[in-house]
Order: sequence, then structure tokens, then C-alpha cells
Amino acid sequence: MTDAKKQQGSKLSEAEAIERAKQGDAAAFEALYSLHKRRVYSLCLRMTANTAAAEDLTQEAFLQLFRKIGTFRGESAFSTWLHRMAVNVVLMQLRKKNLPIVPLEENIETEEEAPRKEPGAEDPRLAGSIDRMQLQRSISALPPGYRMIFLLHDVEGYEHNEIAEMVGCSIGNSKSQLHKARMKLREILRASRAEKATKP
Amino acid sequence: MTCEEFERVLPELGSRHSIEQEEHLKSCSACSDLVADLNAISQQARHLQGSEEPSPWVWNSIEVALRQEGLVRQPPQEHPLLHPPRLSWKLRWLVPAAAVFLVVLGVLMHQRGVGPARIAQPAGVETADLHHPNQAEVMAGDDLQLLDTVGSRMPSMRAAYEENLRAVNAYIQDAEQSAHSDPNDEVAQQYLRNAYEQKAMVYEMALDRSLP
Repeated sequence: MTDAKKQQGSKLSEAEAIERAKQGDAAAFEALYSLHKRRVYSLCLRMTANTAAAEDLTQEAFLQLFRKIGTFRGESAFSTWLHRMAVNVVLMQLRKKNLPIVPLEENIETEEEAPRKEPGAEDPRLAGSIDRMQLQRSISALPPGYRMIFLLHDVEGYEHNEIAEMVGCSIGNSKSQLHKARMKLREILRASRAEKATKP
Repeated sequence: MTCEEFERVLPELGSRHSIEQEEHLKSCSACSDLVADLNAISQQARHLQGSEEPSPWVWNSIEVALRQEGLVRQPPQEHPLLHPPRLSWKLRWLVPAAAVFLVVLGVLMHQRGVGPARIAQPAGVETADLHHPNQAEVMAGDDLQLLDTVGSRMPSMRAAYEENLRAVNAYIQDAEQSAHSDPNDEVAQQYLRNAYEQKAMVYEMALDRSLP
């Protein structure tokens, strides 16, 4: 690669990089990877809770993207296209391993999962006391089905209708699982805070 | 509205609440705490998007796969007349030679370092062999020579290749450690072979790109 090309490569806009990648330009592939690697990898890592698996999935997602980049016509944003592909790669992998994507039951709320009230218990709110590491640990402790919906909605920002389509469940189920996931996280975070408070 | 009724509609609630729900939240601290906590979790979760960085090997593997699948096309030679043909002929043989050398070296080290025959040997001997000073010097010398070659043709690329070499050398070191900690681990041995193949590829790319 020439100096000029390398310089151009580092300054490529996403649209230029896409067009060049369609022509097989190595620098363009690298530019697209650099732009989106963190989001794709973070998604894979949280969904699998395993670094090696997340790296394999990230690689697979980008390879699929680059193989199909010639078919990208720009009807949707490139990032939407890519992230949807990454989600599909992860879901496919989870299905292959027979891991639960969404619990089978629809809107069945057990007593254990229902919001619990503890009259008289004076617990300060969580707001302001949740740090990133704590939340990450709590998310990885979630059951896989809850974790998936929570990540897609609250971390990645997908709407319930998009999630329902991606994972193959009803919109109601997606909302219900998200609520249960948040409730479970609240429970874990409060327990962790209580544990910290009792430590000398 | 009772707490039970509020909890039943909570999964369906968005950011806007009905007048009835608002009134309940004002009068019930348990439900308002619950809503505040769930909102805090949701808001904090958004900050997790894109917060992790994959290791450099992910891109290395993607690049190797792209080349193997023929998705990357070599750019046309832009100024062939600017490069003296004698020099290019002198250096061109280095491309396959370096690749072959590295693959052979990798195979030799793999056979010596992680083969079943090594299992019974004491750890001290193993370490001494693995980090044989001459071998290490040969590798470092080769790396420096490659960087000099790249630097003399395309000075701006030198830093990038130096970084790549450093990364791939660290990968080799990690792979060697894994392979040595469990010589029967097939995956670790595969990683080691991959590490050497990646280094061979860095050499091939560097010399290929830096030559006219």
C-alpha cells in the first residue's frame, strides 16, 4: 500500500470505506472494522460471557459482513445492518449450542419473579450507586434468556418489535422478559450493595 | 390504584405514565423507588454499549481469511518506474524465503517445544531450550531487517509494521506459554501454529507491499 493510500485509508468516511470495500480495498475493510469493532465485540462478549467465544463471533460477524458487502445498497444505516448481522450470528450460535434464547413460557410470572415488597424495609434507591463493573457482573449472572432481551433493548437500543422479530417471540414476551431481567438485576445489585455494607 | 395493579402494568409502561399511575407513584414510596431503580439500571446499561475492545488477533484472523477467500484485491502498482529493477530483484526472493523460514522455524519449535517427547523433561531444560539466545537473536535480527526494508521504501509504514510484529511476537509468546503449560493440549498447539503462520503472513505482506 502506498503512503497516500494509507493516509486516505485512515481518513475514509464510512460511505467511502463501504464503496472501496466493495472493490476489495484492504484499507477500507480495516477502516470499517475499526469503526464498529467495539460495539460488535461488546455485544458478543455480553451475550456469551466468554472472551474466546466473543472473539470468534466477532470474526464471524465481520466476515459475513465483508462477504455480503456487495449487496449493501444503503436502504438502512450501515451500522444497523452490521449490528443486526452480529446479533444474528450470536443467535445462530446459541441455537446451535441449544442455549435458551428466550424462555418458552409466555408471560407466566411466578411468585419468585414478581416484584417483591418488603414493608418497613428502608432501602435507599440504587440510582447513583450503580457502577459499570457492578452492572456488568450482574448482567453476566442473569439467565441467558433474560440477558439476551436486556442487552438488545437496554444496551443496544432495539425496540420490542425488532427484538421479537430477531429472536422469534411475541412483543409481549419481549416486554415481559425485559421487565423480569431488570427486576432480577435490581435484586442482584441490592444484594451486592447489602453485602458490601456489611463488610468491615 | 393499588400496588398490585401498578406492578401488573409495570412491564408495559414506557416513560409516560397515566394520571392514575402518577398519583400512585406520588403516594407510594415502594413503587416509586422500584421505578427509579429500574430506570437507573436501564440508563446505566446504555453506557455499556461498545465499551469492550477485541484483541488484535481478531483483525489479524479476519484479514487472513479475507485474503484466503480472495475478497481483498491487491492494489495496482502505482509507480513501477520509480523503483530500480535491480534492487527489487535482489529483495524479491526474500518474500518466499522469509515465509518458508518462519513456517519451518515454527514447525521445528513446535516439535521441539511441545511434542510428547518433551513431557518427561525437566521444566528448567524446557525453558532454556525455548528461549535459546541464538534463536531469539535470529528472530529479532530478522524483524529489524524487515522493518529497515519497509522503512527504507515506505517510512510511514514502518511504525504500523513494527506494531504488527510486536503484536504477533506477543501472540507467539502467549501461544508458546499455553502450549508448554499443557503439551498435550491440541488447541494450544494449533494456536502456536496459527501464531507462526500469522508472523509469516506479516512478513509476506510487508515485503510484498514494500516491493515494487
